Amino acid sequence: MIYTRKSPALLIIGILMLIWGWLNQSGSVDGMQSYLQQSAYKDHIKVKEKFDAELRVATEQAAAEGKPAPAMQMPKSKFDEEKEKQASLSFIFGGAFGLIGLLTLAWKPREGGLDYYVSVVPGIAFILLIAFLVRWGADPVFANWGKAVEDAGILTWNFAKIFNLNYVVIGIVTGIVIVNVFKIPVWAQNGVRTARFFLKTGVILLGTLYSAAELAQLGGLSVIMIGIFVLGSVGIVLFMGKRMQAGNSMTAVLSAGMGVCGVSATVAASPVVNAKAAEIAYTIGTILIWGVGCMFLFPTVGHILSMGPVQFGAWAGTGILNSAQVAGAALAFDPNGIETLKVAEIFNITRVLFLPIIVLWLAAWYVKHEEGAEKVNLGRVVVSKFPVFVLGFIAMFALSSTGVFAPAGHYQGKYFSGEQVKEEKLIRPKESRILEGELTRLQEAEGAGALKAYLAKMNMTVGQRMATPEDVYQAIQKLAANRKMTERDQDALLKGVSKLEGLDAVAAGAIEKASKAAWHDAKTIKAFRDWIAWLFAFGLIGLGMQITGKALKQAGGKPLVIGGVVGTLKAVGSLVVVLLFVKEFV
Amino acid sequence: MEEQKFERGTSLSIFVSDRREDFSALIFAFAIAMGVLFFIGK
Repeated sequence: MIYTRKSPALLIIGILMLIWGWLNQSGSVDGMQSYLQQSAYKDHIKVKEKFDAELRVATEQAAAEGKPAPAMQMPKSKFDEEKEKQASLSFIFGGAFGLIGLLTLAWKPREGGLDYYVSVVPGIAFILLIAFLVRWGADPVFANWGKAVEDAGILTWNFAKIFNLNYVVIGIVTGIVIVNVFKIPVWAQNGVRTARFFLKTGVILLGTLYSAAELAQLGGLSVIMIGIFVLGSVGIVLFMGKRMQAGNSMTAVLSAGMGVCGVSATVAASPVVNAKAAEIAYTIGTILIWGVGCMFLFPTVGHILSMGPVQFGAWAGTGILNSAQVAGAALAFDPNGIETLKVAEIFNITRVLFLPIIVLWLAAWYVKHEEGAEKVNLGRVVVSKFPVFVLGFIAMFALSSTGVFAPAGHYQGKYFSGEQVKEEKLIRPKESRILEGELTRLQEAEGAGALKAYLAKMNMTVGQRMATPEDVYQAIQKLAANRKMTERDQDALLKGVSKLEGLDAVAAGAIEKASKAAWHDAKTIKAFRDWIAWLFAFGLIGLGMQITGKALKQAGGKPLVIGGVVGTLKAVGSLVVVLLFVKEFV
Repeated sequence: MEEQKFERGTSLSIFVSDRREDFSALIFAFAIAMGVLFFIGK
């Protein structure tokens, strides 16, 4: 069978990407980008104003000394960096796709591995093009609209935020629309099947974002919660299936899907209980329709209940059935941060780790309930069905814990370092003097009283004890003397104090500025986050393309009733447990 | 079930088995990790 299709599509996608790269590099789309990347553009304006002022002073100085005007280069703003990133990605992928597209047009493929793997490329290009459009276009457009509607007073809330209209949701919806309305083009069909591979790669890489300390904090809790809900869900499905006479293999395979980790658990458990192909399809249909609903509903409920990243991550990781949909809900809830995703994946991975236990339980249950069932070798089934990518995640986490990727303290994506504050980021001498003036005022009776009351009201701490005015005096003294933050405790304390009523605005501004200068991007962690976000975006768009109307319809009947009851119990039960017992400790 | 369009893999994967897909993802993920370390460093 020849897989590679003669189609100019890949070449066209490559050319479109190259054009976008060129438009960004030449600055031809700066107007559009300034609308799409509003926050980065604000930074650009600030950097440009500062640079223009410095250039003017330097030019005047040079003119006064009779020297030629200095050649200065404007530093890169976040806006420039974003455009550069878009241009680089477009050139790399556009060039590769264009070249392969040209070659395949001229090539006469022969049956074999090369033909098979080359035929995957157009599908990958197709999904990646959608991922570009969604992440760089639709996502910021919806974010801007949501904000504009709220600012204009038409709505009192940001609809884009509440309905989670970000790249994750838009990507999956785009995938669903393409497969159900337009159909996936024939030349792209083979490549769409790579979505799960990229999702698994993303899950393995997620191990680089964990530190042993974080996992230790969550580990016990996730094991207990997941244990209760996984075993409980499996037990209820088995009980309901028997009562509703849904058939042993149907019930068993549905219990694995509803209890453990959705589609992969269904596939893993199916040989153990001799499930028929139609039963696997019913179960997958039920899981997908339920999971899609949860993916939209969970983030909205999370925002309404003002849940934090740890609470939401724990809830999504426990209550949602499919690994990919857990990631989708977590990213939809918190698209810019990765904290929710990390917590959700810890719970999700813990749940996946229950698979061998469930497989053993189901095998025993099936053999007991099915007369004449073939004997299955439990040990062999466990060894052959254990998802190896979970071991990859653990291996990556183990490597990460040794500090090989980044030093401890970098895992939040930013790290504190007073030593690395650049000369130009130091607070000005004038600001130091104003801080010293504020220090004197706060040491006087009235100021000291207000400060003491404020520290108590805000429950501010230094290490393990309550903060005192003396701690604040020392922190301000150090800041005024060094013109930068030197310690993390000092930074945390003064950031809190900067909100003190009556504090001089310049002094408060200087504290903010010094704090900002002392926090640096953890470049390695940021790069891993970027990779993971792209892999998930790609995988989820591809996942959307696999959710056909046919698969959704297959969820009808008894499996849907059982799935709906168990899914609701699990979602509501885990929500209650999370709200009662899970605190924000990351 | 969906019609058999592909001789290799399944409708959900280009790989012949889940195990093969897992190992491929493992190799790819480690290659990315090494790339990040090499090009971006600590």
